[in-house]
Amino acid sequence: MFSLRLALQSVIKEKWMSLLSMLSIGVMLFILVSVAVIVYNVEKLTARLPERLTVMVILKDGVTSEENKAVLAAIKAEPTVKVVTFVSKEKALDELRRSLKKDDFILKGFADNPLFDSFDVKIKSEGVRVDDVKRLIQKIKSMKAVDDVEYGEALMDSVYALKSGLRALGLSIGIVFVCSVTFICYTTVKILFYRHKEEIEVYKLLGATRWFVRAPFFIEGSIIGILGGVMGSGMLMGFYYYFLRKLVADIPMFTFMSIPVQFMYLLPAVGMLLGLGGSVLALGRLKY
Amino acid sequence: MIELENVSKTYGGHAALSNVSLKVERGDMAFITGPSGAGKTTLFKLLYLAEKPDEGTITIAGCNAADLKSSSIPLVRRNIGVVFQDFKLLNNKTVYDNIALTLRIRGFMEREIKERVHSVLKMVNLRHKVDNYPLTLSGGEQQRITIARSIVGEPTVMLADEPTGNLDEENEKEIMRIFKQINTKGTTILIATHNRALYKNTARKVFFLEGGILKGEEE
Ligand SMILES: Nc1ncnc2c1ncn2[C@@H]1O[C@H](COP(=O)(O)OP(=O)(O)OP(=O)(O)O)[C@@H](O)[C@H]1O
Ligand SMILES: [Mg+2]
Repeated sequence: MFSLRLALQSVIKEKWMSLLSMLSIGVMLFILVSVAVIVYNVEKLTARLPERLTVMVILKDGVTSEENKAVLAAIKAEPTVKVVTFVSKEKALDELRRSLKKDDFILKGFADNPLFDSFDVKIKSEGVRVDDVKRLIQKIKSMKAVDDVEYGEALMDSVYALKSGLRALGLSIGIVFVCSVTFICYTTVKILFYRHKEEIEVYKLLGATRWFVRAPFFIEGSIIGILGGVMGSGMLMGFYYYFLRKLVADIPMFTFMSIPVQFMYLLPAVGMLLGLGGSVLALGRLKY
Repeated sequence: MIELENVSKTYGGHAALSNVSLKVERGDMAFITGPSGAGKTTLFKLLYLAEKPDEGTITIAGCNAADLKSSSIPLVRRNIGVVFQDFKLLNNKTVYDNIALTLRIRGFMEREIKERVHSVLKMVNLRHKVDNYPLTLSGGEQQRITIARSIVGEPTVMLADEPTGNLDEENEKEIMRIFKQINTKGTTILIATHNRALYKNTARKVFFLEGGILKGEEE
């Protein structure tokens, strides 16, 4: 209780320094959480990517109907597959003709049907990851009656690369900012500690334990961290209300952007942990 | 209660204490005297564990100073009330908070702290200065606040370094009366002073220190 009072008094007395630390922590946590929001949204967006994909399974020429059925059954049995439809080469030709309309004379050059039998495979929309799709495609490709599998390979691969790059970037930014926040708390507490050095000497001479001496600083570091987190949340909220809403109104493409509310509660907690961590680092090796 | 055996302490080649042995029994009131620079304050620093001796053993309040873990130093210090020669009052805290600090460190409840602080302030005749800050007090008043702080925790050992240095004769007598009163309650007291009058007719034991060497002992 007494420690808490000391800590509060100190925060109030050193209000400018405390405020400055809190502000920098707030800004850093805000940037940190913004990166998290971006990563979160990209993850959310790409999580539904597989459903937009149609996989075309091209069968080898002269496949018997038994083999055909076996492939169909095998694909249908896959848990990630929603619908499989057989497209015979006659049907494919019809479709092609229809889409070519008047230009179907091109096809007259062919004596035979140049197309092939195939399956159109639609992927389920829920709970399918890009990895699963890749695995499925590998599996289908390895079947004997299958000639080739076509899908949005380039698109999927680039999204995949983008995602993992973004994750790595997010992680490194996260680490840098977590360290920075901890460092700010560390320095703030260290400075506060040295300002109170004489006082602490007297405390010790009167019989204060190491814990008693350090507790106010731990509390102080935590308070600075929490309030820094609150400021970060405030900035996030401000950003959400004034910026993102306008953006969505102007460019509807951004409707998918969302900020999980948990982040708002999480920031002060993260701030507190980092503040406490920083102060423990600052005073950890304090000797008697 | 207080015992030094062949204790030496040097500061950068200069011997502040050399080969000092002395003993103060439980419940005694003893004095250390000697000229300025004799090593009195140094001896006290060793006793309240702020410094370590280069040689020799120190026993205080039943503990061998060399064997103490750093975590138990605070607990030993709570048994020792110290009147520092330079007071060591916190200038940004009121008289009340300065004295209360001793008890807050020990985890006392605020109600009891209030009672005790007022009672010791009454003993040193400074009840009316309870809300003052140390720098608004005279030297003698600050000294009496320091004494009040040293006795509020009811220590088993008192170390008073020049406790009447800034006091007039009247206050000096009052302080000595308080020390005697505490002493009769069982507290062992060691007082360092230049002032002959202080120990001439009260002391049971006087140690004479000069240039860090114990020159004599008087019962
Ligand atoms: N921290 C220190 N560093 C170097 N020398 C010191 C230190 N503390 C004390 N001394 C020296 O040790 C000697 C004894 O000092 P001490 O303070 O114990 O004297 P004292 O008997 O208390 O004197 P006074 O009566 O003036 O208070 C002095 O010569 C002093 O200069
Ligand atoms: Mg001295």
